[in-house]
Amino acid sequence: MTKTQTAHQNLLALLLLLPSLIILGIFVFYPMIKTFYLSTQLTDLVGNPIKFIGLKNFANLIRSDSFITSFTITLIFVLFSTVLTLFISYIMAITASQKMKGIAIFRTMFSSTMGVSVTVASILWLFMFNPQIGLFSKILTILHLPQINWLSDPTWSLVAIIGTTVWMNLGFAFLVLLGAIQAIPQDLYQVADLDGASWWLRLRKITLPATRPTIFFVTVVTLINAFQTFGQVDILTSGGPDYHTNLLVYAIYQDAFVNHSVGRASAQSVILTLIIMLFTMIQFYVKNKREGRNAK
Amino acid sequence: MFRNTTKYVALATIGLGAVLPLTQVHAADTKRQNIVFWHSMTGQNAQAIDRVVNDYNASQTKYKVIPEFQGQYVEALPKFLSVGGTSKAPDLFQSNEISTKQLSTSGMIEPMQTLIKKYNFSTKNLRKNILNYYTINGKLYSMPFNSSAPVLYYNKDAFKDAGIADLPTSPTYEQVTDAAKKLKEKSGRAKLSILPYGWTFEELLANQNQTLVNHGNGRKKTATKAIFDNKAGKNILNWIKTNADAGTLVDYGTGANAGDTELSAFTSNQIDMFMNSSASLGNIKKDAKFNVGVTYLPRPKNVKANGVVIGGASIWLSKGKSTKAQKGSFDFLKFATSAKEQAQWSIDTGYFAINNKSYDTKILKDAFKNTPILAAPVEQLKATKINAASAGALITSMPKERVNTQNAMENVINGKDVDSELSKAVKQTTADIKDANEQSGE
Repeated sequence: MTKTQTAHQNLLALLLLLPSLIILGIFVFYPMIKTFYLSTQLTDLVGNPIKFIGLKNFANLIRSDSFITSFTITLIFVLFSTVLTLFISYIMAITASQKMKGIAIFRTMFSSTMGVSVTVASILWLFMFNPQIGLFSKILTILHLPQINWLSDPTWSLVAIIGTTVWMNLGFAFLVLLGAIQAIPQDLYQVADLDGASWWLRLRKITLPATRPTIFFVTVVTLINAFQTFGQVDILTSGGPDYHTNLLVYAIYQDAFVNHSVGRASAQSVILTLIIMLFTMIQFYVKNKREGRNAK
Repeated sequence: MFRNTTKYVALATIGLGAVLPLTQVHAADTKRQNIVFWHSMTGQNAQAIDRVVNDYNASQTKYKVIPEFQGQYVEALPKFLSVGGTSKAPDLFQSNEISTKQLSTSGMIEPMQTLIKKYNFSTKNLRKNILNYYTINGKLYSMPFNSSAPVLYYNKDAFKDAGIADLPTSPTYEQVTDAAKKLKEKSGRAKLSILPYGWTFEELLANQNQTLVNHGNGRKKTATKAIFDNKAGKNILNWIKTNADAGTLVDYGTGANAGDTELSAFTSNQIDMFMNSSASLGNIKKDAKFNVGVTYLPRPKNVKANGVVIGGASIWLSKGKSTKAQKGSFDFLKFATSAKEQAQWSIDTGYFAINNKSYDTKILKDAFKNTPILAAPVEQLKATKINAASAGALITSMPKERVNTQNAMENVINGKDVDSELSKAVKQTTADIKDANEQSGE
């Protein structure tokens, strides 16, 4: 291949990449760079930068109680909502992968939360958490247990948000995992049956390893979604009581659009970006390591 | 040939005759000056505001007001701030009371005062204590439009069943607590709700004639610190604590819908006492199947009621609009604040009629006669003393102050100490004021 031909090909490649480069540039890279820039600025009440203040926005954040609370509860929230989503949806998927009459009805029911929007789901749960007429309050009364203020107690409100989020995540996670389980070749199980392998052994040695890539995929998606939770918080608690459900994305929204501190909001965005990046890197590192080991 | 010519002439004449009125209508339409009006009214209130605008457009032919819904107050404000001063900015912009400081110093608006003189607009019939909120250093900045104030609602039938006398005009904390205890004895359940909401705290503070921030509630000059770390602030939190400890308090939390939950709990007999805006009266009247009692915001026993701070929203004029547009905007404001329009607006929505003359109109007089509970909010407003506390605080970091006081209220309900929660809220509010002042270069 001659030099001009290569140059031509490069040019062609660039030309073909151009549309996506432009779109990414405008909607991803430009806002990202601008956010980094704004995080080092003191901004006026409209959001325009006034002066360079270096890392002062970050220093202020670390010193602020509300940010530390937000940060801590975000990590707790992400951890619990991801683990619980994965665990429960996997159990649901195994149960629903059984071949029996009428199983399709259960499969539809289990995946039905996919069709519920965040707002609708939150309003639904808001009714259930009502301190007087809510479902949970009624159950506690029947069981003669003390009442719980689901949405106004610092600990229980986070539990409430996690519960709502897990419920909303279940449909999607269930469907993806069910697909993966059903794709496992049946002869593997038949051979295992011949050997008299127990249900537990088959799960550990066949089902789990075969669905590992899907589990990884669901984990990444749920984790990143969890970091970006917004609607449930707004409707159920608005970040209260005393910032105990003030997840980072909600805090960013509040600071940028309600409190008019764009600099502070940008600094929090940068921190959130770094955390998500770190988590994603850890996950891919673990995945690659595992695949490397399996290949040997 | 000749016959054909006649045909063509006839056709052309008819054609011209058909087109001519169209062009005339079109010409008349372009001659009308468009006035773009951004608002945040939803549901029943949106219909009411459309009615005001349609009435105005039908009443004259020079101007045409185009109402545009721009989301809730909190969503509309950043939109306005991002286009303010450009040709894309609306002529008129409705914004809530707590954005007053920010808009007045934004440089994107034209103070009402300068144009009031220019166009001979008279504010003499508008309610003094409502104008008071939007007046800074003797200058009116925006035109009051939809105004409300908090009142205490209670269920008269439930009171009767529990053998409690109706609450007096200006009830005390002690009387409310006492009633809450009796209601609990009777029903076995908590029947009082004090929503952890910054606005409620501000109002309860103003009712004790205490300012939220220094420098005359930030109205003499820019406020530099919060000063509610005193007896008045403690009174409020102690009252909440007393009821939380006695198990007479229901806590609906801080979610975006907590206010709606509280409201529907009241109309469905889940709770029997709560405080809310007088603008909710319309909904309560419609949904409640019992005798509703409406009375003034409570006060501590040994403190005289000072009155309430006006809430709701006002209408701002954009800076840099043409004289013609300004004239039209003013013409519309004159119409919207007129006695007749405000009377109908008040009946449609539950907001106050801001024009004193509205109370002499037949429709409003009839409404008051048919539903006497409409009177309490107006009476409370009339009884309100005009001073710095009832004028309301003027700071940019108002949304943060609301979160701080809300946290203090919620923490006290959850059993934390009153004194430390109050001083924490005051300290944080002062820090927020300092940050905001730095941002606005003050």
